[in-house]
Amino acid sequence: MKENSNNEKSKKSTVIIIAAVIVIIVAVAAALYLSGVFSPKTEPANGVVGQITDNWDPGIEEPSSPKSGTQIPGYSKAEMNAGDTSLKLSVGNPKDNNVGFFASLALDDGTILYESELLKPGQGLTEVPLTKTLEKGTYNAKVIYRCVALDENNTPLNSAESGFTLIVN
Amino acid sequence: MKAKRIITIALAVLMTAMFVVSVSAAQLTDVDPNGKTEVTAHINGNEPGEVSYIITIPDVVDFGELNIPPDDASDYDKDVTYLVEATEIDGLDPATQQISVYVKDQDANVNDDQKFYIANKENASIKFNYDVYRATGDNVNLSTMVNADNMFTKGYFLTGFKNEGDTLEGTLRFHQKQLYGENIADIAGDYSGYMVFFSAIEDI
Repeated sequence: MKENSNNEKSKKSTVIIIAAVIVIIVAVAAALYLSGVFSPKTEPANGVVGQITDNWDPGIEEPSSPKSGTQIPGYSKAEMNAGDTSLKLSVGNPKDNNVGFFASLALDDGTILYESELLKPGQGLTEVPLTKTLEKGTYNAKVIYRCVALDENNTPLNSAESGFTLIVN
Repeated sequence: MKAKRIITIALAVLMTAMFVVSVSAAQLTDVDPNGKTEVTAHINGNEPGEVSYIITIPDVVDFGELNIPPDDASDYDKDVTYLVEATEIDGLDPATQQISVYVKDQDANVNDDQKFYIANKENASIKFNYDVYRATGDNVNLSTMVNADNMFTKGYFLTGFKNEGDTLEGTLRFHQKQLYGENIADIAGDYSGYMVFFSAIEDI
């Protein structure tokens, strides 16, 4: 009897010890994750990196009455982690435009990180695949919007560059 | 006793971990969303990578039909107006920031030729320059000539927009005097010129 009682006590202790160990592990892991020790990998913004969609939304209220001329998106900043192969950046052609865009992402030193195919009005992407990874630091970057007519020759038009700060963590 | 000791330790670890998490969360959301202390020229509140503003630029440089003047006594200027607009702005602080707009010829180089040109579409070596002004009408003069200023790598400073709806109406001026004495057979044809507008949020 005494032996059975001791066995039960022993089993109970074991369960308690295992549960406590699990709690410790989970708590430590959670603390480390949220303190940034494990830098989370960037998740694709809308499912597929580099996918150009026909319903690109600049995320900013567009003019109620379309203006003459070409609308060019501009940016404040963008962020990524060192070693990332994509950047969350909303690059696109506002739907009220009458021209096409060839968009590219470049650094001030001339490094080209991305080049798009022709973006017709309303087309764009929210996550840009990069041709190379970047080291930690702050970079001057720009989206180059090369504007063309929507004719068979893609006749060149005036173009634009939108500069912004690229922060690599 | 042993189990009690282990439970006590586990609770202590759990409480410590929760303290670390809550401090980290406060640092990330209340103090600096990115956990950084450097202040750069950007708009607070905008998510990184989102569109912060939209500017509208003119599509083309089009002086229409040009004519060889009868003499070189006058410039025989031909003017066309253009418009640049801050069509949409989200979150800019106009007291401390602006959307700076610069402009240059697509082939301009800060260390070389900085002029604005229109070139013959059949023979690009045949080209003539024009001037850009940030004014119209009677205000078109040397003081409002954009390309009379210093040029930066990103171009000549054109204007700074602080509020949505801000516009700049300017003038492109072609001096037809440049055509005086030219052989029409040599220079006849369509001409085109391309401007590049650079914009960025800058502290003022």
